[in-house]
Amino acid sequence: MHPATPPTTDAPVGRAHRTPLPRRRLLRGLLAVTVAAPLMFGAAACGDDGGGAADPNAPVKLSIFWWGGDARAKLTEDALALYTKKHPNVTFEKTWQANQGYFDKLATLTAGGNPPDLFQIDDNYLAEYAARNTTLDLTSYQESGKLDTSKFPKSLWQYGVVDGKLAGLAAGENTQGLVYNKTLLTKHNLPEPTTGMTWEQHIAWAEQVTAKTKVPGTQDPSADYKALWVWLRQQGKDLYKGKELGFTAEDVTTWFDLWKGARDRKATPSADVIHEGNSSDVTKQLVVTGKSATSWVWANQMPDLKKNTKDELGVIAYPGDPSAQWARASMYWSVFKGSKNKDIAVDVINFLNNDMEAVKLLGTDRGLPSNLDLRRVVSDDTTDPAMKQSIAVEAELTQKFGESPQVPIKGHSKVKSELIKAAENAQYGRATPAEAAAQFVEACKSAIA
Amino acid sequence: MALTTAPDPTRRGPGSDRAHAERRGPGRFRHSEGLAGYVFLSPWLIGLMGVTAIPMLLSLYLSFTNYDILTPFSEVEWVGLANYERMFTADPSYWHAVRVTVTFALIAVPLKLAAALGVALLLNRAWRGVGLFRGLFYLPSLLGGSVALAIVWVNMFNRDGAFNSLLSLFGITGKPWVNDPDWALETLMVLAIWQFGAPMVIFLAGLKQVPTELYEAASVDGANRFRQFRNVTLPMLSPVIFFNLVLETINGFQGFTAAFVLSNGTGGPVDSTLMYTLNLYITGFTDLNMGYASAMAWVFLLAIAVITAIFFSTGRFWVHYSDGEDR
Repeated sequence: MHPATPPTTDAPVGRAHRTPLPRRRLLRGLLAVTVAAPLMFGAAACGDDGGGAADPNAPVKLSIFWWGGDARAKLTEDALALYTKKHPNVTFEKTWQANQGYFDKLATLTAGGNPPDLFQIDDNYLAEYAARNTTLDLTSYQESGKLDTSKFPKSLWQYGVVDGKLAGLAAGENTQGLVYNKTLLTKHNLPEPTTGMTWEQHIAWAEQVTAKTKVPGTQDPSADYKALWVWLRQQGKDLYKGKELGFTAEDVTTWFDLWKGARDRKATPSADVIHEGNSSDVTKQLVVTGKSATSWVWANQMPDLKKNTKDELGVIAYPGDPSAQWARASMYWSVFKGSKNKDIAVDVINFLNNDMEAVKLLGTDRGLPSNLDLRRVVSDDTTDPAMKQSIAVEAELTQKFGESPQVPIKGHSKVKSELIKAAENAQYGRATPAEAAAQFVEACKSAIA
Repeated sequence: MALTTAPDPTRRGPGSDRAHAERRGPGRFRHSEGLAGYVFLSPWLIGLMGVTAIPMLLSLYLSFTNYDILTPFSEVEWVGLANYERMFTADPSYWHAVRVTVTFALIAVPLKLAAALGVALLLNRAWRGVGLFRGLFYLPSLLGGSVALAIVWVNMFNRDGAFNSLLSLFGITGKPWVNDPDWALETLMVLAIWQFGAPMVIFLAGLKQVPTELYEAASVDGANRFRQFRNVTLPMLSPVIFFNLVLETINGFQGFTAAFVLSNGTGGPVDSTLMYTLNLYITGFTDLNMGYASAMAWVFLLAIAVITAIFFSTGRFWVHYSDGEDR
């Protein structure tokens, strides 16, 4: 066998080449380096930020992350530049991307210990993040007035409260909006749909549109949770009640049956086209791709939709009683709980919501401004016709809005994707409405358990 | 302590001195060479540890927890075998994903290998310009798992895509292939099969190794082309077929990118393209069940290991190594 290794323990470093390290120690050394390197880099990174809290004028780089299109990016960057102008020590590391994949990225950043200080979030995920203590509770800032919500509608900021904590501040207000292709209807001398039509009337109207224009009258929204939600509220139900579902399989069966009828009457496109429109991507909405005369969206998406089509668009409430709709926080700004620049991040939120110039810059891109005084100013000032339309419909609906529902609970994102799966099963004719509904409710129960 | 491990000359028997003396000089050289070896190895070793081994072990640990990405590691709860139990007893979409993946692999892998072998046989001749064709057939596999290619595929196999325009020339009304739950997975299979270039190149190399005298002997014995293929080419090529089979099967099971792009990350329409890895991704990152997703990953690893082991154990019945002792 090999001779045993020569003694090396106290060999001076300079002589290492003559007395080589035993293998095991080398491995251990490598392991130590592997483990220590990230720690050292991590520590160095901490060192950079250390002074931020102590000295209000020390340079701070705040990371901020949102989803949206080019238009939103431009407006947001302008508003943030304005903040930097007023607070030269604060600069921003801006990251933005499409809604598709945004929350995957946000979760990964959080897991990697590198979440943004400030991020955009919506009611689909707010409870998921708040329940896991990822978001900073903004209540103390609200109480001290550093986060001014005195001009907000109470129901709007309250829609950011999860388990008694203010997990996010409404960046704007929106509501469900049914967008239709005005140009197409005018060309064929067809009536425009109106708020307050019943679901039956809507489907009959769509059937007539299909017959006359050869463009399917309405996208089938049976896979769309926000349409189901409005419809449920009109039936005296809700999406959630406490930690439970607010509906039964029978309710969903009725909903799926309603749309099966519409498909049979050719009021909607075929299943594969409906599937295309089920994407959350604005550019794939059927009303802008010309594959249907209507799409089911949020009212504040009007300007974004308008950018993707040459046709004139109109927007109304979803069918049925509009009091089933509510002043929804279109999205929130939340602060990462572990952020090293919490105070500044909160101040930026306050600025984006309550500074006249900033709010004017942002317009209605994230929904109507939350601050009612500024909402009036922006409504009077705006020149963008699509923005004007979305303001008009929301202003009209504001008087009809019902009470806000509770913020969707943990597991909601799964519920949303299960609804798409079940509805598409019915749309492609692979399951009856009753089977699809039963499957959906079963899947929901395990998703929110 | 160091002294006790030092070699004790008194315990050496006669004759070993010489052996030791011989080894001594080069031995030292060998040691420092070993060190140099480790130094040269270290980039890979650090990479293996940091990027593969440690995260893998971590995921093994996480598979026994309720880790949800957002909660810090320190607050993760140990749940024992709950994730594994759920997978095998209470998650129909998991088994659906398994079915989709197995269907995909069972059809796409053999067809891909057949296409690769067929084209390799055609290109294993001394035609003029054959090199160009080899390059052209190899090209698609270079684009491999690229997102761009998947996007092109989606647009080609849409209701109003290029493929249906082609069909309409022959008076055939096509289907919305990628948006049809009955055809979406098949569309993905075609994409995978079309990228047969990599196994084709390996087959070509294998074909070049077959000694020509075997064919000469076979034709002297009166074997026709088919008999020659059956009794000379296939046995001589069997190690290469085996290699490609193992590699492509593993690749086939891991298909992700195309399914992700085609379905916008949902596995749709109606879960028809919900490949195992896509389901795992959705579970981990969208539904925030990373502990459960880790468990899925480990079951996946074991399943692939078992399948590969089966290949290796059956291989001795049909893989023929010409330089082996079993001849």
